[in-house]
Amino acid sequence: MKKRAPETLAVPMSSMIDVVFQLLIYFIVTARDEVTEAHLAVNLPSPGNAKVSENKPKMLELEVHPRSLRLQGMELSQAEVSKMLVSLGKGDKDLTVLVKVSLESFASDLVTALDLCDKAGLVNLNVVTLK
Amino acid sequence: MKHRPDDTLETPITSMIDIVFQLIIFFVVTSAIDKDVVDESIKLASAQNAPAVETVDPHSVTINLHSDGEINVAMMPMSLPQLRNFLISMRSQSGNATPILIRCDGTTRYRKIDQVMQVVTEAGLYRVRIVAMLEE
Repeated sequence: MKKRAPETLAVPMSSMIDVVFQLLIYFIVTARDEVTEAHLAVNLPSPGNAKVSENKPKMLELEVHPRSLRLQGMELSQAEVSKMLVSLGKGDKDLTVLVKVSLESFASDLVTALDLCDKAGLVNLNVVTLK
Repeated sequence: MKHRPDDTLETPITSMIDIVFQLIIFFVVTSAIDKDVVDESIKLASAQNAPAVETVDPHSVTINLHSDGEINVAMMPMSLPQLRNFLISMRSQSGNATPILIRCDGTTRYRKIDQVMQVVTEAGLYRVRIVAMLEE
């Protein structure tokens, strides 16, 4: 009787490694840096929140125009607005900022204005449209 | 003269496969999150001081707004009336405190954002947030 040759029991790995490497390359190529996001609150009138307060809140007007900002009617640079908001915010955290946004301004202008208010610690923001 | 036994010339690949699989699992897990609601083609405006968002309310609705005014929710294009109906149905499901996230391109005119915000108000929702990219 003839003896059989011993069988090789090794699993064929070459094709699996090929596939695995292709998967790895695909994920490395398509992966993107994770973007850290911030959510800037815009207060819209909430239903059933129409209580008239007895004390008129202190109001500050911040106008947003394309690539420019006006605080209380004065056109100021971003740094100046930031400085003024920080100094005003230190004294009164309950200060309400009325953010009037021009229809022609860009989203980035609005984000800048909201961001500066955030920096100054001012959280009572009302965004309205400047028509 | 005595013969040496045949040397095995195979490269040890077991540990390499382990590492490769771990890398693949990492990429699969990190790349699949939120892909369905985030429109990657939108270049968000950048903010410097606002706090970074750690967790997003699972009930929140993300509205993607392109600079040309094109709107989509979870990559599904919508007109303003369609968006209104969608938000009304979301309000009936999750209540009027449902957070609305507007992901708009930095170059989008406020006119377009205002239209979306008016629709949000008409749908009876009020918790609106503008999404910005946080600069490190």
